[in-house]
Amino acid sequence: MELEVTGNNVRDLRTAQGLSQAQLAAAMDVSRQTINSIEVGRYTPSLALAVALARHFGSTVEEVFHVEER
Amino acid sequence: MSKNVKRALVFWSGPAFCLVMGVVYLVAARASGQPELGLVLLIIMVVFGGVMVIVSRYSETVRGLLDRRDERITRIDLRATAAAGLALVLAIGAGAVYELSQGRDGTPYTWLALLSAVVYVGAVVVLRIKR
Repeated sequence: MELEVTGNNVRDLRTAQGLSQAQLAAAMDVSRQTINSIEVGRYTPSLALAVALARHFGSTVEEVFHVEER
Repeated sequence: MSKNVKRALVFWSGPAFCLVMGVVYLVAARASGQPELGLVLLIIMVVFGGVMVIVSRYSETVRGLLDRRDERITRIDLRATAAAGLALVLAIGAGAVYELSQGRDGTPYTWLALLSAVVYVGAVVVLRIKR
């Protein structure tokens, strides 16, 4: 089974919490550029970062990242 | 060792490497009777390391290259390093072919090609065992 990340809710979840990209980046210990790249779908984070993001938003990885079977 | 000390060590390892290499260049150049060249090389290395540190205050990318905290920038660095390595291998191959075509034995390019091949195979074996 081959899975593909087709999108995510990071921007919506971040703005719902009233956070800037820089604030979320600081919380995740990554750069603001990386948060932006994730939000626009240019960069798929590692499993560790994906889990950290999901936990930060009180969600599961699959609720934050849209995964489809190829 | 605390997390902050570890991070500081990682951050300063790049500039420290520049300084050490600059000193090595200076010593080697002085030993061969070219102290001015050694001094110039030392200054170039120190300035490069210093510029990296200063620019890291304003650029997330440069900061990420130095502190290695951002996985995306670390991945970019890995790919850029691989691209630089590939360019070197191609240059070594071209150099070896040229030397051989001139009727010479291809050194030092053939030795560098052998070193590249050994390091590559060794890295694959070690990484295969570790991962």
